[in-house]
Amino acid sequence: MALSKEELKAAMIEKATKAPKPQLYVKDFYKCDPDTKPRMIKNVANELVKEGELMFWSSGSTTMYARPDRIKNEEARDDAEEHKND
Amino acid sequence: MPKHDTPLLDELEKGPWPSFVSDLKRQAETKPECWDILGQLELSYKDRITHWKHGGIVGVFGYGGGIVGRYSDVPKQFPGVAHFHTVRLAQPSGMYYATNKLRGICDLWEKYGSGMTNMHGSTGDAVLLGTTTENLEPLFYDLTHIENQDLGGSGSNLRTPSCCLGKSRCEWSCYDTQALCHHLTMHYQDEIHRPAFPYKFKFKFSGCPNDCVAAIARSDFAVIGTWKDDIRIDQAAVKGYVNGEFPSNGGAHSDKDWGAFDIQKEVIGLCPTECMWMEGDELKIDNSECTRCMHCINVMPRALRPGVEQGATICVGAKAPILDGAQFATMTIPFLEINADNEFEEVVEQIEKIWDWWMEVGKNRERVGETIQRVGLPTFLKIMEVEPIPQHVKEPRSNPYVFWQDEEVPGGFERDVREFRKRHAQ
Ligand code: SF4
Ligand code: SF4
Repeated sequence: MALSKEELKAAMIEKATKAPKPQLYVKDFYKCDPDTKPRMIKNVANELVKEGELMFWSSGSTTMYARPDRIKNEEARDDAEEHKND
Repeated sequence: MPKHDTPLLDELEKGPWPSFVSDLKRQAETKPECWDILGQLELSYKDRITHWKHGGIVGVFGYGGGIVGRYSDVPKQFPGVAHFHTVRLAQPSGMYYATNKLRGICDLWEKYGSGMTNMHGSTGDAVLLGTTTENLEPLFYDLTHIENQDLGGSGSNLRTPSCCLGKSRCEWSCYDTQALCHHLTMHYQDEIHRPAFPYKFKFKFSGCPNDCVAAIARSDFAVIGTWKDDIRIDQAAVKGYVNGEFPSNGGAHSDKDWGAFDIQKEVIGLCPTECMWMEGDELKIDNSECTRCMHCINVMPRALRPGVEQGATICVGAKAPILDGAQFATMTIPFLEINADNEFEEVVEQIEKIWDWWMEVGKNRERVGETIQRVGLPTFLKIMEVEPIPQHVKEPRSNPYVFWQDEEVPGGFERDVREFRKRHAQ
Protein backbone atom coordinates (compact mmCIF):
# COMPACT_ATOMS: atom_id res chain seq x y z
CA MET A 1 0.00 0.00 0.00
CA ALA A 2 1.24 3.48 -0.81
CA LEU A 3 2.56 5.64 2.02
CA SER A 4 0.46 8.56 3.22
CA LYS A 5 1.63 11.97 2.02
CA GLU A 6 3.15 12.83 5.40
CA GLU A 7 5.00 9.51 5.57
CA LEU A 8 6.24 10.01 2.03
CA LYS A 9 7.47 13.52 2.84
CA ALA A 10 9.35 12.22 5.89
CA ALA A 11 10.94 9.42 3.82
CA MET A 12 11.99 11.89 1.12
CA ILE A 13 13.53 14.29 3.63
CA GLU A 14 15.43 11.43 5.20
CA LYS A 15 16.68 10.31 1.81
CA ALA A 16 17.87 13.84 0.93
CA THR A 17 19.58 14.13 4.33
CA LYS A 18 21.39 10.80 4.21
CA ALA A 19 22.18 10.30 0.51
CA PRO A 20 25.94 10.30 -0.16
CA LYS A 21 25.61 13.32 -2.48
CA PRO A 22 23.47 16.30 -1.45
CA GLN A 23 21.91 16.71 -4.92
CA LEU A 24 19.27 14.17 -5.95
CA TYR A 25 17.39 13.57 -9.16
CA VAL A 26 13.61 13.38 -8.82
CA LYS A 27 13.97 9.74 -9.82
CA ASP A 28 16.12 9.04 -6.76
CA PHE A 29 13.02 9.72 -4.65
CA TYR A 30 10.93 7.07 -6.40
CA LYS A 31 12.51 4.42 -4.20
CA CYS A 32 11.08 6.12 -1.11
CA ASP A 33 7.80 4.47 -2.03
CA PRO A 34 7.58 2.14 -5.02
CA ASP A 35 3.78 2.18 -4.71
CA THR A 36 3.43 5.92 -5.34
CA LYS A 37 3.26 7.07 -8.97
CA PRO A 38 6.31 9.06 -10.19
CA ARG A 39 4.19 12.13 -11.01
CA MET A 40 2.88 12.17 -7.46
CA ILE A 41 6.43 11.96 -6.08
CA LYS A 42 7.39 14.90 -8.27
CA ASN A 43 4.44 16.89 -6.89
CA VAL A 44 5.41 16.06 -3.32
CA ALA A 45 9.05 17.03 -4.01
CA ASN A 46 7.82 20.40 -5.25
CA GLU A 47 5.66 20.81 -2.17
CA LEU A 48 8.72 20.19 -0.03
CA VAL A 49 10.50 22.94 -1.95
CA LYS A 50 7.61 25.29 -1.19
CA GLU A 51 7.90 24.36 2.48
CA GLY A 52 11.65 25.04 2.46
CA GLU A 53 12.60 21.43 3.26
CA LEU A 54 14.16 20.95 -0.16
CA MET A 55 15.57 23.36 -2.71
CA PHE A 56 16.25 23.27 -6.43
CA TRP A 57 19.85 22.89 -7.51
CA SER A 58 20.69 23.33 -11.16
CA SER A 59 23.62 21.66 -12.89
CA GLY A 60 23.04 23.83 -15.95
CA SER A 61 21.18 21.22 -17.99
CA THR A 62 19.45 19.24 -15.24
CA THR A 63 17.61 20.44 -12.17
CA MET A 64 18.04 18.47 -8.97
CA TYR A 65 16.69 18.60 -5.43
CA ALA A 66 18.72 19.09 -2.26
CA ARG A 67 18.46 19.89 1.45
CA PRO A 68 19.30 23.61 1.77
CA ASP A 69 21.67 23.16 4.72
CA ARG A 70 23.70 20.50 2.92
CA ILE A 71 24.16 22.82 -0.06
CA LYS A 72 25.17 25.69 2.23
CA ASN A 73 27.81 23.48 3.87
CA GLU A 74 29.07 22.37 0.49
CA GLU A 75 29.31 25.95 -0.77
CA ALA A 76 31.10 27.10 2.39
CA ARG A 77 33.61 24.27 1.89
CA ASP A 78 34.10 25.21 -1.78
CA ASP A 79 34.63 28.86 -0.84
CA ALA A 80 37.20 27.94 1.78
CA GLU A 81 38.94 25.76 -0.80
CA GLU A 82 38.96 28.59 -3.35
CA HIS A 83 40.43 31.11 -0.90
CA LYS A 84 43.03 28.74 0.56
CA ASN A 85 45.72 30.12 -1.72
CA ASP A 86 44.71 33.80 -1.47
CA MET B 1 36.17 47.88 -16.55
CA PRO B 2 39.13 48.06 -18.88
CA LYS B 3 39.05 47.11 -22.50
CA HIS B 4 40.96 43.99 -23.38
CA ASP B 5 43.08 43.31 -26.43
CA THR B 6 41.11 40.94 -28.64
CA PRO B 7 43.11 40.28 -31.82
CA LEU B 8 41.44 36.90 -32.46
CA LEU B 9 37.90 38.22 -32.00
CA ASP B 10 38.69 41.29 -34.12
CA GLU B 11 39.10 38.93 -37.08
CA LEU B 12 35.38 38.24 -36.80
CA GLU B 13 34.60 41.87 -37.58
CA LYS B 14 36.05 41.56 -41.07
CA GLY B 15 33.85 40.63 -44.02
CA PRO B 16 30.45 41.83 -45.17
CA TRP B 17 28.29 40.05 -42.59
CA PRO B 18 27.00 41.30 -39.23
CA SER B 19 29.39 40.64 -36.37
CA PHE B 20 28.50 39.84 -32.77
CA VAL B 21 31.92 41.21 -31.82
CA SER B 22 31.01 44.65 -33.21
CA ASP B 23 27.63 44.41 -31.46
CA LEU B 24 29.30 43.60 -28.14
CA LYS B 25 31.78 46.46 -28.51
CA ARG B 26 28.92 48.86 -29.15
CA GLN B 27 27.01 47.50 -26.18
CA ALA B 28 30.11 47.85 -23.98
CA GLU B 29 29.94 51.64 -24.39
CA THR B 30 26.93 51.65 -22.04
CA LYS B 31 27.37 48.23 -20.37
CA PRO B 32 31.05 47.91 -19.50
CA GLU B 33 30.68 44.24 -18.42
CA CYS B 34 30.53 43.48 -22.13
CA TRP B 35 34.28 44.24 -22.32
CA ASP B 36 34.77 41.30 -19.98
CA ILE B 37 32.70 39.00 -22.20
CA LEU B 38 34.99 39.90 -25.05
CA GLY B 39 38.07 39.45 -22.85
CA GLN B 40 36.98 36.07 -21.58
CA LEU B 41 35.98 34.86 -25.03
CA GLU B 42 39.36 35.94 -26.42
CA LEU B 43 41.00 33.90 -23.65
CA SER B 44 38.81 30.91 -24.57
CA TYR B 45 39.86 31.21 -28.19
CA LYS B 46 43.49 31.27 -27.06
CA ASP B 47 43.14 28.43 -24.53
CA ARG B 48 40.71 26.50 -26.72
CA ILE B 49 38.50 25.76 -23.76
CA THR B 50 35.38 27.40 -22.35
CA HIS B 51 35.81 29.56 -19.28
CA TRP B 52 32.13 29.35 -18.31
CA LYS B 53 30.99 27.01 -15.59
CA HIS B 54 27.39 26.09 -14.95
CA GLY B 55 25.23 25.14 -12.07
CA GLY B 56 24.38 26.14 -8.52
CA ILE B 57 21.38 27.49 -6.68
CA VAL B 58 20.32 30.08 -9.20
CA GLY B 59 16.63 30.64 -9.61
CA VAL B 60 13.70 32.73 -8.49
CA PHE B 61 11.42 31.83 -5.65
CA GLY B 62 9.05 28.96 -6.42
CA TYR B 63 10.57 28.23 -9.82
CA GLY B 64 12.88 25.34 -10.61
CA GLY B 65 13.65 26.49 -14.12
CA GLY B 66 13.92 29.45 -16.44
CA ILE B 67 17.26 30.69 -15.17
CA VAL B 68 20.50 29.04 -16.17
CA GLY B 69 23.33 29.74 -13.74
CA ARG B 70 26.55 30.75 -15.44
CA TYR B 71 29.81 31.73 -13.77
CA SER B 72 33.26 32.65 -14.98
CA ASP B 73 36.09 30.33 -13.92
CA VAL B 74 38.46 33.31 -14.16
CA PRO B 75 36.43 35.88 -12.19
CA LYS B 76 39.44 37.84 -10.93
CA GLN B 77 40.54 38.56 -14.47
CA PHE B 78 36.99 39.33 -15.67
CA PRO B 79 34.93 40.55 -12.71
CA GLY B 80 32.15 41.87 -14.98
CA VAL B 81 31.16 38.32 -15.86
CA ALA B 82 31.86 36.63 -12.50
CA HIS B 83 28.11 35.87 -12.43
CA PHE B 84 26.51 36.01 -15.82
CA HIS B 85 23.24 34.13 -15.62
CA THR B 86 20.91 33.49 -18.53
CA VAL B 87 17.18 34.20 -18.22
CA ARG B 88 14.74 32.39 -20.50
CA LEU B 89 11.43 34.08 -21.30
CA ALA B 90 8.46 32.11 -22.59
CA GLN B 91 7.84 33.36 -26.10
CA PRO B 92 4.28 33.90 -27.37
CA SER B 93 2.88 31.19 -29.66
CA GLY B 94 4.14 31.78 -33.18
CA MET B 95 6.46 34.50 -31.78
CA TYR B 96 4.09 37.39 -32.41
CA TYR B 97 5.08 40.31 -30.21
CA ALA B 98 3.69 43.81 -30.02
CA THR B 99 6.56 46.27 -30.37
CA ASN B 100 5.75 47.90 -27.03
CA LYS B 101 6.16 44.50 -25.35
CA LEU B 102 9.61 44.07 -26.87
CA ARG B 103 10.56 47.60 -25.83
CA GLY B 104 9.33 46.92 -22.30
CA ILE B 105 11.38 43.73 -22.02
CA CYS B 106 14.46 45.46 -23.43
CA ASP B 107 14.09 48.36 -20.96
CA LEU B 108 13.96 45.93 -18.05
CA TRP B 109 16.94 44.08 -19.39
CA GLU B 110 18.94 47.32 -19.74
CA LYS B 111 18.08 48.01 -16.11
CA TYR B 112 18.83 44.60 -14.61
CA GLY B 113 21.12 42.84 -17.07
CA SER B 114 23.74 43.22 -19.76
CA GLY B 115 21.23 44.34 -22.40
CA MET B 116 22.30 41.41 -24.57
CA THR B 117 19.59 39.14 -25.94
CA ASN B 118 19.31 36.12 -28.16
CA MET B 119 16.09 36.08 -30.18
CA HIS B 120 15.35 33.22 -30.00
CA GLY B 121 17.21 30.33 -28.39
CA SER B 122 16.85 26.96 -30.06
CA THR B 123 14.20 25.86 -27.56
CA GLY B 124 12.17 28.86 -28.66
CA ASP B 125 12.46 31.19 -25.68
CA ALA B 126 13.56 34.79 -25.87
CA VAL B 127 16.91 34.58 -24.10
CA LEU B 128 18.33 37.36 -21.94
CA LEU B 129 22.08 36.89 -21.52
CA GLY B 130 23.97 37.95 -18.45
CA THR B 131 22.89 39.18 -15.05
CA THR B 132 23.90 38.81 -11.42
CA THR B 133 22.29 36.67 -8.73
CA GLU B 134 21.09 39.78 -6.80
CA ASN B 135 19.25 41.14 -9.84
CA LEU B 136 17.24 37.98 -10.52
CA GLU B 137 14.36 38.51 -8.09
CA PRO B 138 13.78 42.21 -8.91
CA LEU B 139 13.93 41.42 -12.63
CA PHE B 140 11.45 38.57 -12.24
CA TYR B 141 9.12 40.78 -10.20
CA ASP B 142 9.08 43.49 -12.87
CA LEU B 143 8.79 41.03 -15.73
CA THR B 144 5.74 39.42 -14.21
CA HIS B 145 4.13 42.56 -12.77
CA ILE B 146 4.87 45.16 -15.45
CA GLU B 147 5.19 43.05 -18.59
CA ASN B 148 2.94 40.12 -17.61
CA GLN B 149 5.81 37.97 -18.87
CA ASP B 150 6.61 34.48 -17.58
CA LEU B 151 9.87 32.56 -17.62
CA GLY B 152 10.41 29.54 -19.85
CA GLY B 153 11.59 26.04 -18.97
CA SER B 154 15.11 24.73 -18.35
CA GLY B 155 16.77 21.77 -16.68
CA SER B 156 14.76 18.56 -16.41
CA ASN B 157 11.52 20.45 -16.94
CA LEU B 158 9.09 20.53 -19.80
CA ARG B 159 10.73 23.12 -22.05
CA THR B 160 8.78 26.08 -23.37
CA PRO B 161 6.52 24.63 -26.09
CA SER B 162 6.96 26.24 -29.50
CA CYS B 163 5.03 26.25 -32.75
CA CYS B 164 4.99 27.53 -36.30
CA LEU B 165 2.70 30.46 -37.07
CA GLY B 166 0.14 27.96 -38.36
CA LYS B 167 -3.33 29.09 -39.34
CA SER B 168 -2.60 32.72 -38.51
CA ARG B 169 -0.76 33.12 -41.80
CA CYS B 170 -0.21 29.81 -43.50
CA GLU B 171 -2.70 28.16 -45.85
CA TRP B 172 -1.04 24.76 -45.37
CA SER B 173 -1.59 24.48 -41.65
CA CYS B 174 -3.62 21.32 -40.95
CA TYR B 175 -4.48 22.31 -37.37
CA ASP B 176 -4.28 25.42 -35.21
CA THR B 177 -0.70 25.12 -33.97
CA GLN B 178 -0.91 28.27 -31.87
CA ALA B 179 -4.05 27.15 -30.07
CA LEU B 180 -2.54 23.75 -29.20
CA CYS B 181 0.80 25.27 -28.17
CA HIS B 182 -0.87 27.85 -25.94
CA HIS B 183 -3.27 25.35 -24.43
CA LEU B 184 -0.52 22.89 -23.47
CA THR B 185 1.68 25.71 -22.15
CA MET B 186 -1.10 26.68 -19.74
CA HIS B 187 -2.11 23.09 -18.98
CA TYR B 188 1.43 22.04 -18.01
CA GLN B 189 2.57 25.13 -16.08
CA ASP B 190 3.84 23.01 -13.23
CA GLU B 191 5.93 20.80 -15.52
CA ILE B 192 7.41 23.90 -17.23
CA HIS B 193 8.43 25.61 -14.01
CA ARG B 194 9.50 22.70 -11.85
CA PRO B 195 11.68 19.67 -12.60
CA ALA B 196 9.50 16.69 -13.37
CA PHE B 197 11.41 14.26 -15.53
CA PRO B 198 14.58 12.19 -15.89
CA TYR B 199 15.78 14.87 -18.32
CA LYS B 200 14.43 17.66 -20.53
CA PHE B 201 11.26 17.15 -22.59
CA LYS B 202 10.27 19.30 -25.57
CA PHE B 203 7.02 19.78 -27.45
CA LYS B 204 7.04 21.37 -30.89
CA PHE B 205 4.12 21.97 -33.21
CA SER B 206 4.26 22.32 -36.99
CA GLY B 207 1.11 22.83 -39.03
CA CYS B 208 2.23 20.72 -41.98
CA PRO B 209 5.09 18.40 -42.99
CA ASN B 210 7.21 21.36 -44.13
CA ASP B 211 7.88 21.45 -40.39
CA CYS B 212 9.06 25.05 -40.08
CA VAL B 213 9.96 24.62 -36.38
CA ALA B 214 11.98 21.47 -37.16
CA ALA B 215 9.87 19.56 -34.66
CA ILE B 216 11.00 16.22 -36.06
CA ALA B 217 14.64 17.02 -35.35
CA ARG B 218 14.36 18.94 -32.11
CA SER B 219 11.51 17.73 -29.97
CA ASP B 220 10.71 14.72 -27.84
CA PHE B 221 7.05 15.07 -28.84
CA ALA B 222 6.56 16.45 -32.34
CA VAL B 223 3.04 17.22 -33.57
CA ILE B 224 3.20 17.62 -37.34
CA GLY B 225 0.08 18.50 -39.30
CA THR B 226 -1.08 16.07 -41.99
CA TRP B 227 -4.19 14.89 -43.81
CA LYS B 228 -5.91 11.56 -44.22
CA ASP B 229 -7.70 11.90 -47.55
CA ASP B 230 -6.53 12.98 -51.01
CA ILE B 231 -4.47 15.99 -52.04
CA ARG B 232 -6.91 18.50 -53.54
CA ILE B 233 -6.12 19.14 -57.20
CA ASP B 234 -7.26 22.09 -59.32
CA GLN B 235 -6.57 20.72 -62.81
CA ALA B 236 -7.08 24.14 -64.46
CA ALA B 237 -4.33 25.57 -62.23
CA VAL B 238 -2.07 22.59 -63.08
CA LYS B 239 -2.47 23.57 -66.74
CA GLY B 240 -1.71 27.17 -65.76
CA TYR B 241 1.64 26.13 -64.25
CA VAL B 242 2.46 23.95 -67.26
CA ASN B 243 1.72 26.89 -69.60
CA GLY B 244 3.88 29.24 -67.53
CA GLU B 245 0.97 31.41 -66.31
CA PHE B 246 2.03 31.11 -62.65
CA PRO B 247 5.54 31.07 -61.29
CA SER B 248 6.43 27.79 -59.55
CA ASN B 249 7.18 27.77 -55.80
CA GLY B 250 5.18 30.99 -55.42
CA GLY B 251 7.96 32.81 -57.26
CA ALA B 252 10.54 31.92 -54.60
CA HIS B 253 13.25 31.10 -57.17
CA SER B 254 12.60 34.01 -59.53
CA ASP B 255 15.98 35.68 -58.86
CA LYS B 256 17.44 33.61 -61.69
CA ASP B 257 16.09 32.31 -64.99
CA TRP B 258 15.76 28.57 -64.51
CA GLY B 259 14.07 28.04 -67.87
CA ALA B 260 10.49 27.02 -68.56
CA PHE B 261 8.62 25.08 -65.87
CA ASP B 262 8.86 21.33 -66.45
CA ILE B 263 6.23 19.46 -64.43
CA GLN B 264 7.80 16.10 -65.22
CA LYS B 265 11.26 17.10 -64.03
CA GLU B 266 10.37 19.43 -61.18
CA VAL B 267 7.37 17.72 -59.65
CA ILE B 268 6.59 14.19 -60.86
CA GLY B 269 10.24 13.14 -61.12
CA LEU B 270 10.97 14.41 -57.61
CA CYS B 271 8.05 12.76 -55.85
CA PRO B 272 9.86 10.48 -53.37
CA THR B 273 7.31 7.67 -53.63
CA GLU B 274 6.85 8.01 -57.41
CA CYS B 275 3.09 8.16 -56.98
CA MET B 276 2.34 10.92 -59.54
CA TRP B 277 1.84 10.80 -63.28
CA MET B 278 0.15 12.70 -66.15
CA GLU B 279 -2.82 11.32 -68.07
CA GLY B 280 -3.09 13.63 -71.07
CA ASP B 281 -2.96 17.04 -69.45
CA GLU B 282 -4.42 15.84 -66.14
CA LEU B 283 -2.23 15.30 -63.08
CA LYS B 284 -2.91 12.05 -61.21
CA ILE B 285 -1.82 11.05 -57.71
CA ASP B 286 -2.00 7.62 -56.10
CA ASN B 287 -2.75 9.02 -52.65
CA SER B 288 -2.36 5.66 -50.91
CA GLU B 289 1.35 5.85 -51.77
CA CYS B 290 1.81 9.56 -51.03
CA THR B 291 4.06 10.08 -48.02
CA ARG B 292 2.86 13.67 -47.43
CA CYS B 293 6.27 15.19 -48.14
CA MET B 294 4.70 18.50 -49.35
CA HIS B 295 7.06 18.80 -52.33
CA CYS B 296 4.40 18.94 -55.06
CA ILE B 297 2.24 21.31 -52.99
CA ASN B 298 5.20 23.63 -52.36
CA VAL B 299 5.97 23.80 -56.08
CA MET B 300 2.38 24.35 -57.29
CA PRO B 301 0.48 25.94 -54.38
CA ARG B 302 -2.33 27.22 -56.63
CA ALA B 303 -2.99 23.76 -58.05
CA LEU B 304 -2.47 21.47 -55.07
CA ARG B 305 -3.61 21.66 -51.46
CA PRO B 306 -3.58 19.29 -48.48
CA GLY B 307 -6.74 17.18 -48.14
CA VAL B 308 -9.70 18.21 -46.00
CA GLU B 309 -9.57 15.47 -43.31
CA GLN B 310 -6.86 17.11 -41.31
CA GLY B 311 -5.02 16.25 -38.11
CA ALA B 312 -1.45 15.47 -37.12
CA THR B 313 1.22 12.81 -37.06
CA ILE B 314 2.94 12.29 -33.71
CA CYS B 315 6.67 11.63 -33.82
CA VAL B 316 8.54 10.86 -30.62
CA GLY B 317 12.12 11.03 -29.45
CA ALA B 318 14.31 13.52 -31.36
CA LYS B 319 17.37 14.96 -29.70
CA ALA B 320 20.64 16.80 -30.31
CA PRO B 321 23.96 14.99 -30.13
CA ILE B 322 24.94 15.76 -26.52
CA LEU B 323 25.16 12.30 -24.92
CA ASP B 324 24.68 9.93 -27.83
CA GLY B 325 24.40 10.78 -31.52
CA ALA B 326 21.75 13.17 -32.85
CA GLN B 327 18.49 11.45 -33.63
CA PHE B 328 15.30 12.25 -35.52
CA ALA B 329 11.93 11.57 -33.93
CA THR B 330 10.28 8.26 -34.80
CA MET B 331 6.85 8.33 -36.40
CA THR B 332 4.67 6.78 -33.72
CA ILE B 333 1.05 7.71 -34.35
CA PRO B 334 0.30 8.21 -38.06
CA PHE B 335 -2.84 10.26 -37.56
CA LEU B 336 -4.36 11.92 -34.55
CA GLU B 337 -7.31 14.26 -34.49
CA ILE B 338 -6.47 17.67 -33.07
CA ASN B 339 -9.62 18.95 -31.51
CA ALA B 340 -9.87 22.21 -29.58
CA ASP B 341 -13.51 21.48 -28.60
CA ASN B 342 -12.48 18.78 -26.13
CA GLU B 343 -9.39 20.72 -24.99
CA PHE B 344 -7.11 18.55 -27.12
CA GLU B 345 -7.92 15.52 -25.03
CA GLU B 346 -6.41 13.05 -27.54
CA VAL B 347 -3.06 14.85 -27.51
CA VAL B 348 -2.96 15.11 -23.71
CA GLU B 349 -3.70 11.40 -23.43
CA GLN B 350 -0.72 10.49 -25.65
CA ILE B 351 1.62 12.85 -23.81
CA GLU B 352 0.73 11.41 -20.43
CA LYS B 353 1.09 7.84 -21.64
CA ILE B 354 4.67 8.66 -22.59
CA TRP B 355 5.41 10.54 -19.37
CA ASP B 356 4.01 7.87 -17.05
CA TRP B 357 6.19 5.28 -18.73
CA TRP B 358 9.37 7.35 -19.22
CA MET B 359 9.33 8.74 -15.67
CA GLU B 360 9.43 5.18 -14.44
CA VAL B 361 11.72 3.50 -16.98
CA GLY B 362 13.95 6.38 -18.16
CA LYS B 363 17.37 6.68 -16.53
CA ASN B 364 18.61 9.98 -15.14
CA ARG B 365 19.74 12.26 -17.97
CA GLU B 366 18.22 9.98 -20.61
CA ARG B 367 16.00 11.60 -23.25
CA VAL B 368 12.86 9.66 -24.13
CA GLY B 369 14.33 8.89 -27.58
CA GLU B 370 17.27 7.19 -25.89
CA THR B 371 14.95 5.21 -23.62
CA ILE B 372 13.06 4.02 -26.72
CA GLN B 373 16.33 3.04 -28.34
CA ARG B 374 17.36 1.11 -25.23
CA VAL B 375 14.13 -0.86 -24.81
CA GLY B 376 13.34 -1.15 -28.53
CA LEU B 377 10.53 0.35 -30.60
CA PRO B 378 8.19 -2.69 -30.25
CA THR B 379 8.10 -2.22 -26.47
CA PHE B 380 7.42 1.49 -26.85
CA LEU B 381 4.62 0.91 -29.37
CA LYS B 382 3.02 -1.45 -26.89
CA ILE B 383 3.12 1.25 -24.21
CA MET B 384 1.51 3.63 -26.69
CA GLU B 385 -1.09 0.99 -27.58
CA VAL B 386 -0.22 1.38 -31.25
CA GLU B 387 -0.35 -1.54 -33.69
CA PRO B 388 2.92 -1.69 -35.67
CA ILE B 389 2.62 -0.78 -39.36
CA PRO B 390 5.24 -1.00 -42.14
CA GLN B 391 6.05 2.71 -41.73
CA HIS B 392 7.40 1.95 -38.24
CA VAL B 393 10.07 -0.31 -39.72
CA LYS B 394 13.39 1.40 -40.35
CA GLU B 395 15.21 -1.45 -42.05
CA PRO B 396 14.77 -5.15 -42.75
CA ARG B 397 15.60 -7.22 -39.67
CA SER B 398 19.12 -8.53 -39.25
CA ASN B 399 18.36 -10.33 -35.98
CA PRO B 400 17.36 -13.99 -36.58
CA TYR B 401 15.42 -14.42 -33.31
CA VAL B 402 11.68 -14.21 -33.04
CA PHE B 403 10.29 -13.21 -29.68
CA TRP B 404 6.85 -14.41 -28.76
CA GLN B 405 4.71 -12.90 -26.07
CA ASP B 406 2.84 -15.04 -23.57
CA GLU B 407 -0.53 -14.29 -25.16
CA GLU B 408 0.68 -15.18 -28.67
CA VAL B 409 1.51 -18.80 -27.73
CA PRO B 410 -1.28 -21.37 -27.25
CA GLY B 411 -1.37 -22.14 -23.53
CA GLY B 412 1.07 -19.31 -22.76
CA PHE B 413 4.46 -19.93 -21.13
CA GLU B 414 3.04 -21.61 -18.03
CA ARG B 415 4.12 -25.22 -17.76
CA ASP B 416 4.14 -28.03 -15.26
CA VAL B 417 7.84 -28.76 -14.70
CA ARG B 418 7.17 -32.15 -13.10
CA GLU B 419 5.07 -33.22 -16.07
CA PHE B 420 7.86 -32.03 -18.38
CA ARG B 421 10.55 -33.92 -16.44
CA LYS B 422 8.59 -37.16 -16.77
CA ARG B 423 9.17 -37.02 -20.50
CA HIS B 424 12.61 -35.38 -20.44
CA ALA B 425 14.71 -36.99 -17.75
CA GLN B 426 17.40 -34.75 -16.34
S1 SF4 C 1 5.10 24.21 -40.87
FE1 SF4 C 1 3.66 24.19 -42.59
S2 SF4 C 1 1.85 25.19 -41.70
FE2 SF4 C 1 3.55 25.76 -40.39
S3 SF4 C 1 4.30 27.70 -41.23
FE3 SF4 C 1 5.52 26.04 -42.11
S4 SF4 C 1 4.54 25.62 -44.07
FE4 SF4 C 1 3.04 26.73 -42.82
S1 SF4 D 1 3.23 15.20 -51.25
FE1 SF4 D 1 5.20 14.32 -51.81
S2 SF4 D 1 4.82 12.11 -51.79
FE2 SF4 D 1 2.83 13.10 -51.88
S3 SF4 D 1 2.35 13.24 -54.05
FE3 SF4 D 1 3.31 15.18 -53.49
S4 SF4 D 1 5.49 14.87 -53.97
FE4 SF4 D 1 4.54 12.84 -53.91
